[in-house]
Amino acid sequence: MLFPTLAFGLFFVAVYLLNWLTRPHPLVWRITIFGSSLFFYAWWNWRFVFLLLWAITSNWCAGNQIDKCLRLQNTQGARGWLRTAIVSDLAMLGVFKYYDFFALELSNLLGADTSIPLLELTLPVGVSFFTFQAMSYVIDLKRRLVKPMPFLDFAVYLSFFPQLVAGPIVRASEMAPQIAQRPDPRTVPSTEAFHLILRGLFKKVVISSWLASTLVDNVFANPDGHSSHDVLLGVYGYAIQIYADFSGYTDIAIGVALLLGFRFPTNFDCPYRALSLRDFWKRWHITLSSWLRDYLYIPLGGNRGRNSETYRNLLITMVLGGLWHGSTWNFVIWGMIHGVALMIERLLPNRDIHPMFRWVITFHVVCFAWVFFRAESFAAALDVLAAIFSSPGNDQISSFPIVLVIGFALAAQFAPKSEVARLKNRLNRSGIATQGLAFGIGLVLIDLLGPDGVAPFIYFQF
Amino acid sequence: MNNTFDHRTDHPPNLNGFAAGRVFAGGLLGLGVAICLNSSILLAEAERLPDSTSRSISVAVWTPIESVASPLKLTWPREIGDRLLGRAKDEQQITLIREQVEMTTETNLEQEELVVESVQKERRSEASSSTSASEPVDSPWTEDNPLDVWVAGDSMVQFFGETFVSMVEKSPVVEGTSEPQLSSGLSRPDYFDWPTRIAEIMTEHDPDVIVLMFGGNDAQNIRTADSRWLERFSAPWTDEYRRRVGLVMDIATADEERIVLWVGQPPMRAAGFDTRMQLLNEVYQAEADERLGVHYVDLRSMFTDASGKYARYLPDSSGKLVDVRLSDGVHLSHWGGEWLSKLLLAEISRASDGVGELWP
Repeated sequence: MLFPTLAFGLFFVAVYLLNWLTRPHPLVWRITIFGSSLFFYAWWNWRFVFLLLWAITSNWCAGNQIDKCLRLQNTQGARGWLRTAIVSDLAMLGVFKYYDFFALELSNLLGADTSIPLLELTLPVGVSFFTFQAMSYVIDLKRRLVKPMPFLDFAVYLSFFPQLVAGPIVRASEMAPQIAQRPDPRTVPSTEAFHLILRGLFKKVVISSWLASTLVDNVFANPDGHSSHDVLLGVYGYAIQIYADFSGYTDIAIGVALLLGFRFPTNFDCPYRALSLRDFWKRWHITLSSWLRDYLYIPLGGNRGRNSETYRNLLITMVLGGLWHGSTWNFVIWGMIHGVALMIERLLPNRDIHPMFRWVITFHVVCFAWVFFRAESFAAALDVLAAIFSSPGNDQISSFPIVLVIGFALAAQFAPKSEVARLKNRLNRSGIATQGLAFGIGLVLIDLLGPDGVAPFIYFQF
Repeated sequence: MNNTFDHRTDHPPNLNGFAAGRVFAGGLLGLGVAICLNSSILLAEAERLPDSTSRSISVAVWTPIESVASPLKLTWPREIGDRLLGRAKDEQQITLIREQVEMTTETNLEQEELVVESVQKERRSEASSSTSASEPVDSPWTEDNPLDVWVAGDSMVQFFGETFVSMVEKSPVVEGTSEPQLSSGLSRPDYFDWPTRIAEIMTEHDPDVIVLMFGGNDAQNIRTADSRWLERFSAPWTDEYRRRVGLVMDIATADEERIVLWVGQPPMRAAGFDTRMQLLNEVYQAEADERLGVHYVDLRSMFTDASGKYARYLPDSSGKLVDVRLSDGVHLSHWGGEWLSKLLLAEISRASDGVGELWP
């Protein structure tokens, strides 16, 4: 079930009503939300509901065992159960996401005579997200950062439909208190929620889908057939498209959760205004980068050792972060580019560099890496990069509206937050009927401006 | 925040939000406004759905809303917006093209029987002389007067169309255009009217080569002009579908010089879907065989493994396994698109002397 569809609209109206009606009854509420989330997930493929149920059950059981061992001061036992849970989670990811990739590479390495059987499985939507959430729960239990959750609370946490398929990756420490405590039904932050939902829909339906269909898809499918100017604009366009797509989804997810009484962490904070790669990763997919920091980079040693060890840890973290997005070499290269750029940043002091120059460099390193992220293969990425410098011919796609949209989207990153807050405050002072009316007209405008048919969100495939 | 409160005595603080019930009412108001303003679009979209229970329910829900909103002119803002954005189609132009399409069909139907016989004779003679080498012909195409190549169809075209265009445009005297329409086909012209669109392309661009690929969305009930539903793969359905395939082929071959390639469906992962696509392929093959100018491109052998079954990974020319299909078990991957594009180039070269030399 995609957010920008009527089916989701109707589903959400029913869930909203049930959520607030059943909230005074904890057990009924938990069953209602858990059931709704399973229904939401089953909409794609009901078979994968069993996978989700397995992830819930196995991690909850392992979590309880970890807690039991810790209470008995059996650290060894707790470590064993943690390993079991992590192996089980990684095995799930491995089978569905990585097995065919490695089997294929091994087959090709060993030669045509060796044939390793391939599974050819469909990737369950959101598996990377709920697996990472489950892993954070068991690790945090072992670290005594969270207390074990009751089964239904954990089931609601892992399956909660607003963030189930594409994040944000919410930690148990953030969700558990919100599940346990009944939110105040008198103060539903509708202004913020309606604003986020409309903003997310606009980003996805108008900006992302339009840029994809008019510019990006054509340029990446046939870079040689376009002028250098078109190709460069296509790369900038993809940077805006993926931001609009993913942050649009997150905006809607956060808005929907707010209406149900939940507050998710921020996932994007104007990433294209970053003045360094380090800054970029504090603003882009924040819940993933903080997950990688807390559960991978720091356990590897972080920046506590020698410089060479810090660089190694950075590179490992970013390469695995790249591989998290998908099982192709291009994602590995994407991660490596970011890892190497972060290493270079640490090596070079940047105090004397003008902020404008730092912004230009940072933005273009990010765009350079996006080429590998978007292209179908390594060779295709090189074709795109080569076409930027060596593709003559007339501009076929570049048009004033495209340049305007890309420019507007970039400029919006620098919009002062106080202005946005002032606008929200003004809306908040208006009555709920005015807000509802504005929301309805906003929906019609977005539908009018968007192209026919909306492609699934890019991050669903991860 | 104090979590114990009394709904009867505590008044909701308005600064941070509204009571859940009021938000529900406000949201419903917003959705209601959006539905009323968009009701004509919603009804049109519901009518385009495949014949199913969800279609019946959707039409039943949106029809009364649209019948109230439309006379009250609530649908006007949306219609004006569509017109301002150039989305509204010129009905007069469409009617004109449809009339041309129907005329073409009638003429072609009269000639069909005579043509079938001559085509079959021609094919037999082509087959017997296929081994003889053709004489090189001077290319009539230049950068100012390029060979115009089009590829059109459903979402399958979206996945290989641009790759194909990039390959044909490797020759400086070739201009390629890819026109995919997602979720379209020949079963539901009320969703996207391909015969009319093909006629438009012929009239406006007069391409030298056109590659067509339909079928992925066509295994569904067909709605006739008198609003009856024909059950998929029933005899009347097959007759009507054949007529539509033939109609598109006739429009495309109205210019005898034009090279027309009709691409069949590749094998599909889901057995039931694969069987349905095979049935459609039989229709395409049969209709193509009846027309001299249409070349049917069979993909089944290209995308099956040694045992003749669907395969996602297949060895390339160097023996390296590559993924030729997407994980959905339907569409072609980047590599699959490259393979198909190369096959199409070979087919175009085979279909016309001299064209093959454009892509050495």
